[in-house]
Amino acid sequence: TLPLLSPPSRRPPPLASRPHFPARPRTLAKPAAAAAAMITGGQSYVSAPPAFSADGRFLLVCSGRSVSVFSTSTGMLVSELEGHEGDVTAVVVVPPQSSAAAAAKLATHCWTAGLDGFLIYWDFATAELVRKVKVDAPVHSMVIPNISKKLKVTEVYAPFAFVSVEALSNKAIQDKAKGKPVAKKKELWGQLRIYDLWKGCQVGSELAQTRKPEKIVVSCSGEFLGIANKRHLYIWSIPTKDFNHDNIRKIKLGHTKKLSTLAFHPSERIVAGGDATGRILIWRGFGKAKFSGTHCAKSQVDEERDGVRGKDDAGTCTTWHWHSSGVNFLKFSSDGAYLLSGGMEGVIVVWQLDTGKRRYKPRLGSPLLFFVDSPDSSISCVSCTNNQVHLLNMPNMEVLKTVSGIKMPIASGDLSRRDVCGFDSTNGLVAIPTQDYCIQFYNLFENTEVSEVQVCERNFQPVDDITMYISLVSLSIGGNLMCTVEVKLPEEELGGLVTLKFWNQGSRAGQFHLSTVIYEPHSDAGISAVAFHPGKNMAVSSSFGCNFKVWVQSLALQSSDGKSQSGWRCQSVGSYKKKPMTAAAFSGDGSVLAVAAESVITLWDPDNNALVGVIAEALSPITKLSFAGDSAYLMSLSQSSKPQVAVWNVSNLSMQWSYTLFAEAACCSSSKSEFAVLSLLSCPEGGAPAEQDGIILIFDAENSKPVSSWSVKKAKGGSIAFVKDGPSFDANTDDTRGGEASLLVYVNGSHEYVIFDPLKNEEPQISKSTRKNIQTDEPAPIGYASIYGELPKLELKKEVSDIPFIPSDRPWETIFTGSSHALPPLTKLCSVFLASLLEKRPVTDE
Amino acid sequence: AARVPLARPAAARPPAAAMAADTSKPLFPAAPHASLLPSHGNANRLSPEAAYWRNFRSSTLDTGSTAFSVTHLAFSPARARPTLAAAWSSAVHLFAGDPLAPRPKVTVCKDAAAYSPSFRCDGALLAAGDGRGVVRVFRVDKPTAGPLRTLSAHAAQTRVVRYPEAGGDKVHLLTAGDDALLAYWDVPSETPVFTVPAAHRDYIRAGAPSPVDHNLFATGSYDQSVKLWDARTGKAPALTFSHGASVESVLFLPSGGLLATAGGTTVKIWDVIGGGRLVHSVESHVKTIFALALGKMGATGETRLLSAGSDGYVKCFDYGELKMTHSMRYPKELLSVACSPCGTVLVAGSSKGDIFVRRRKKNATEEEEEEVVGSEFAWTMPKPEKQALKPSYYRYFLRGQNEKAKEGDFVISRPKKAKFAEHDKLLRKFRHKDALVSALAKNNPRSVVAVMEELVARRKLVRCIGNLDVAELGLLLDFLHRNATLPRYARLLLGVANKVLEMRAEDIISEDGGKLRGCIRNLKRMVVEEIKIQHTLQEIQGMISPMLALSANRLE
Repeated sequence: TLPLLSPPSRRPPPLASRPHFPARPRTLAKPAAAAAAMITGGQSYVSAPPAFSADGRFLLVCSGRSVSVFSTSTGMLVSELEGHEGDVTAVVVVPPQSSAAAAAKLATHCWTAGLDGFLIYWDFATAELVRKVKVDAPVHSMVIPNISKKLKVTEVYAPFAFVSVEALSNKAIQDKAKGKPVAKKKELWGQLRIYDLWKGCQVGSELAQTRKPEKIVVSCSGEFLGIANKRHLYIWSIPTKDFNHDNIRKIKLGHTKKLSTLAFHPSERIVAGGDATGRILIWRGFGKAKFSGTHCAKSQVDEERDGVRGKDDAGTCTTWHWHSSGVNFLKFSSDGAYLLSGGMEGVIVVWQLDTGKRRYKPRLGSPLLFFVDSPDSSISCVSCTNNQVHLLNMPNMEVLKTVSGIKMPIASGDLSRRDVCGFDSTNGLVAIPTQDYCIQFYNLFENTEVSEVQVCERNFQPVDDITMYISLVSLSIGGNLMCTVEVKLPEEELGGLVTLKFWNQGSRAGQFHLSTVIYEPHSDAGISAVAFHPGKNMAVSSSFGCNFKVWVQSLALQSSDGKSQSGWRCQSVGSYKKKPMTAAAFSGDGSVLAVAAESVITLWDPDNNALVGVIAEALSPITKLSFAGDSAYLMSLSQSSKPQVAVWNVSNLSMQWSYTLFAEAACCSSSKSEFAVLSLLSCPEGGAPAEQDGIILIFDAENSKPVSSWSVKKAKGGSIAFVKDGPSFDANTDDTRGGEASLLVYVNGSHEYVIFDPLKNEEPQISKSTRKNIQTDEPAPIGYASIYGELPKLELKKEVSDIPFIPSDRPWETIFTGSSHALPPLTKLCSVFLASLLEKRPVTDE
Repeated sequence: AARVPLARPAAARPPAAAMAADTSKPLFPAAPHASLLPSHGNANRLSPEAAYWRNFRSSTLDTGSTAFSVTHLAFSPARARPTLAAAWSSAVHLFAGDPLAPRPKVTVCKDAAAYSPSFRCDGALLAAGDGRGVVRVFRVDKPTAGPLRTLSAHAAQTRVVRYPEAGGDKVHLLTAGDDALLAYWDVPSETPVFTVPAAHRDYIRAGAPSPVDHNLFATGSYDQSVKLWDARTGKAPALTFSHGASVESVLFLPSGGLLATAGGTTVKIWDVIGGGRLVHSVESHVKTIFALALGKMGATGETRLLSAGSDGYVKCFDYGELKMTHSMRYPKELLSVACSPCGTVLVAGSSKGDIFVRRRKKNATEEEEEEVVGSEFAWTMPKPEKQALKPSYYRYFLRGQNEKAKEGDFVISRPKKAKFAEHDKLLRKFRHKDALVSALAKNNPRSVVAVMEELVARRKLVRCIGNLDVAELGLLLDFLHRNATLPRYARLLLGVANKVLEMRAEDIISEDGGKLRGCIRNLKRMVVEEIKIQHTLQEIQGMISPMLALSANRLE
């Protein structure tokens, strides 16, 4: 059984909770309660470095507030450790208390640290919480070097955690107490503390104070500890035997650029640092003077020290430069012969330490963040910014398996474009455009990636500004058709291109193959919206170039080579008063096509391309149109300076009601006349930016009073959609609404999502997706079998059956042919051979 | 330290199929959009047969005057040196060597036309008939020495003079003429072995010896009948059947069992062993077929039946597959055709006295091969003998590597190394300008446009244009001149052309050689032309659109 989050009733759910809707004309009628069942998902797997279990069979990945344990052989989720109330920031696998060597292999214990200020000790094989240690401040990084303490005569393993926390320094606290104004920038301080994990208390004072909490790196032996702080590396030497917190010595290594990461050599005194400009610096023989204990440092200063700055305590310093922007990770191979580095380019660079020669593992598709080795270094994993963790087979760096989370929104500094997701409501999939020109299909109920469709055949390139992107993704209601729009931005008005692509579903949901490519569907104007007809294979694309086009799929043209081709072609073109068309939608039965010509809504008969009606103007250009289910109500959204959410009655061409409300997203239920609007809350004056900055309002189209409301976090860039209750989610469906329970999905700005029933009024009860592919473990091969594999089962030799032997008419030609072991036994041969010598003659009686 | 991001790994990556698990992406080369590709696929490729015949280089042999026609062409069966005899006017012209060079002509008769030269099976003697019915035999090596023997029995022109082909028969000769007389001669004694008066009921214009039996002959006549003669029985024909039109030419196919006859516009193939059964009939020409010949394809050793007609075509017929494989057009109507025994030279004689020669281009290895092959005319190519592999041969150690997988074998294919174009490799190394120049040098507009589009996507095209040096700029301008107005590329390239002019105007003006200025002039001319075309098109559109509107109204 999965442990539920500690007290479910006291704490608000992570994303959605009871609303506190600010005073506003026409506020909500009643505060809504949370749903009975709520599925969350879409956590980031790459927020912190993962860790391998001691035998390398499991990978522990920090995912949001829990730690997910994946099997390295299958890449599937095995279990989850849930207990932190803040995001987990570090996971460290430690040997068990008894330090027997055999048991160390089977150890299944780990420490985790979270932003909630707790360190938790787990047995991850059983997903059991063993011990909790309280740290008063949010922990950002933790390492547990392998150190021991002299306890009475014997050396005993003693876990000491070095944690990097976010806390105010004493001075700042004093200042605050005195009432001095503290500069906000300087207020946040990172501290490096030591905790004795058995006693559960802090040991000594802070090792260091930094501007912000830094990532701690520890060497293999646990002897050295380092952080990269601005332009310096701080390195501490820790007495691993007989640990004493007073006996820690520190050196500083300087550089001219901001250092971003560091790594220690597994056996020698070499430390590598990577900086923000892509340089890798390697200091050899650091701390010779200070860490060796004797204070004869002064005599060595005269020695030749290549590249070492000032009075830094290091032998030599060399610099390598390949990366074009910051180095995100550095890692020495376990034998110390190679250094691996990675960064923005999405390439793992393997440096031969002695010569500086490079090898590459290119095209991982996304900037790289962390690199972690398994203890026997046969497998390693690399975390990418697109929320993927690749498991690499180590010497040849082939990707074995990939743990994929939901793709992150593409960070775009400019453009008014918003994050676009397509929803497949029947299959519970969301389609997310990714940085490397793919569309990821993500199963919301299972919280797993389904597939990735390469929309545009281009490789990921580390660029500062986006030049090509997928601007629209639209899925038909059944999920069997997809339409994508990709935009290539022109360079000084050269070579811009808009491409419309239609895709057909393959053998299963989420698999699509390209059907038709249309270049520049509306000459060079951009496309504002694409919508599919609910029944037929028909789609409409509206463009800012003042027209819209209706596309139909011409079915199964038998071409000359026998393949059935079904391409899309333009059926008709429409325009209204030379106004840019900004949104389009089909009605629930497909008989009416509504196209927004800026602030006017035009209604068309899609088959005959005839203008049916025009609805009076909205306040500002409409950016989204949607029919509320099968009803005659049309919902429109304006997202400009004069925001508006309006509901129109199509049957009498009039406005039903409207709000002045900035809506980030909206969606309509496909069957009923209800719809949901995600609206951003403006900051109340004086108050801090509210954690819950958005609100989801559920309306019935006939009534301007919201049915229910939910307040949510990170609403900027979020989107919502109704999904049908998937087959994988069968709780609470059999009541009230005839089995047609439709759930609402809210995907927030960082692509975390929650699925809930917006109309239920029961106490919140958070359940993770009930069905998980929890993989049952196979016993790992040990000993001989782990190296050479299973021996084939030996079977006792069967009795060799008699070889069928048929003498031909001329047996002397055939009896001795063939290989000798296949010859029949002598007893048989002899008679035949002798008979063959006596040539038979047919007796003729004539 | 050089920055080379996105380089390939040192170890070759296995292909995508073999590593379904490896989710790192393949390298996508810079490819042009599908809209930039021509809509029709690859043009219909030449069949190997057509490619073979196209590979012949044509020339003409000079005969001097156009007043007379080349009625017959014959190659000497001696393979070593192709020797051609052409009956033209009152002489038989001889050509020899490779390429064919004229040799002294054989004057058959001073005041009558020469017909039907025929070489003896060893190629030493040449017999020819004339317009008066006298048949003369000459030495090929001494063409001017006058006739060795003179055979006179015919009363009218003898258009059929044939030495037997098979069996090394050197003493007999078959003649037939317009007097419908057939004669079988013992040449040394100048006496006929037998004569068949009124062998046909009309002119005998066609005759052929059997390639397998020196006693067998076939003749064809204007009475539409084809007769098969056996010299052993003489007198009465062994077989008679009707072609259905005046027979202009008969020819035994190499097996000796099939006979091809040409008359009117059809070629018919008969099974003579099966008693004159019609095997196939080809109606391939539009005018009368005058000559048949066997052509040997040097490449495969197969033979084809060639037919030449007065429509100026030589058609090539595969009698094994019973289908027409190729046709060759000649500028004049043809009366005769012949192919050299080794298949390297194809000649056709026209009614205007031209001899058209098509000579096969050879490569060095084939020439060597030819030396080896004996002088005997082999109708089927001898199979290359397989050398036994010994351990002292290099190939011994390579044996079995090209073995094809048998059915049921499990094939483990070697990972294919993906090949990338030069510009793709340069793009991968972020050497943008070099990639553009490399694509320009390759002179494939599609790849140039693809590279330009990729550069646009990387925001590097403008900088690349700025960085080009003078020679490279010339290359780019030349490319723009040739392709900028092609509708497929115009959208991008016209913009590029504007950009180039805008950015590099000073460089172009200050350039010394004036080459760039020439390019600009070309570009300007092309633009003017294009504008003219657009104007014309608009005019046409203006003319058509009222008509369309009118008809649309009427329909409503």
